[in-house]
Amino acid sequence: MPTNNPGIQNIDRLIHEPARLTIIAQLYVIQSADFLFLQHQTQMTPGNLSAHLSKLEEAGYVEVIKEFIERKPHTALALTSKGRAAFKEYLRNIKQFVEKLPE
Amino acid sequence: MLSDTPNLKEIEKKAYISYHRDGLLDIFVGVYILGFGLGIFINILWESSFGSIMPAILIAVILPLWIAAKRKITMPRIGFVKFGGQGTNRFMAVLLGFMVAGIGVMFVFTLALTQRPEWINVLFQNGLIVVGTASLAVCVLFGYSMGLKRLYAYGVLSLVLFVIGHFLGVFFAYILLALGLAIISNGAFLLMKFVRKYPLQGGKALAD
Repeated sequence: MPTNNPGIQNIDRLIHEPARLTIIAQLYVIQSADFLFLQHQTQMTPGNLSAHLSKLEEAGYVEVIKEFIERKPHTALALTSKGRAAFKEYLRNIKQFVEKLPE
Repeated sequence: MLSDTPNLKEIEKKAYISYHRDGLLDIFVGVYILGFGLGIFINILWESSFGSIMPAILIAVILPLWIAAKRKITMPRIGFVKFGGQGTNRFMAVLLGFMVAGIGVMFVFTLALTQRPEWINVLFQNGLIVVGTASLAVCVLFGYSMGLKRLYAYGVLSLVLFVIGHFLGVFFAYILLALGLAIISNGAFLLMKFVRKYPLQGGKALAD
């Protein structure tokens, strides 16, 4: 992508995709949530959400937590420390990129 | 998308509000206020100070019930979320706030019945207005910090009820009963709306 703004090179493309950005932003503001809660908050279809979560999990940004609630197994999703750091970095880079744009 | 970087505070607020639109918080806060009013009646009718510890007893009973109701009603419909940090702090703040306010008012009430120091007399001359104003302040504070606008309405309602009660000479406990019932009714209405909006099908909720 030709540009004279070098900041664009630092933007994490995995996070920058709108659906994944929505998911990662949701997980960033909470400790953990299950699939159903994320589906309601992001308004995505189960298939779409599942596909994007898999990509984020593969990248080590999201972790699947197996826990028990009232002795019933429950699966929660949370941002890993790597994912949290990557999102912070993404926000910083995007801010810098926007600031460097000519008026 | 560049001009559309996520507003994290807004996202957190929306997640928090969506988790509390089931009306359960309202029902349990309403029950707490109702029980608090009944505690005053117990104090007077039985000339006992048992009613003074009602707020603490209610918290011990209400909290586990609230958690169980969240798991049975809310979780299967909109999923489960742990807010951690800020969200939990907000929730604990509202619970502690109501608990401290309840115990404080009950303490003042008990003190007034027994010792009646001078400053209590001054407070009691305009007691209902003082309590109404304090209720409004508490509701506005928690409504703002939790992002739940209906708490503002509860604050205004309590002020109106207490001011009317002051001028009509209505007993404090009756106002609490009315306020508790009003909040429970709204909570029940919200709960019905919530259950209709997110019906269960085969143990799982339908998507929006």
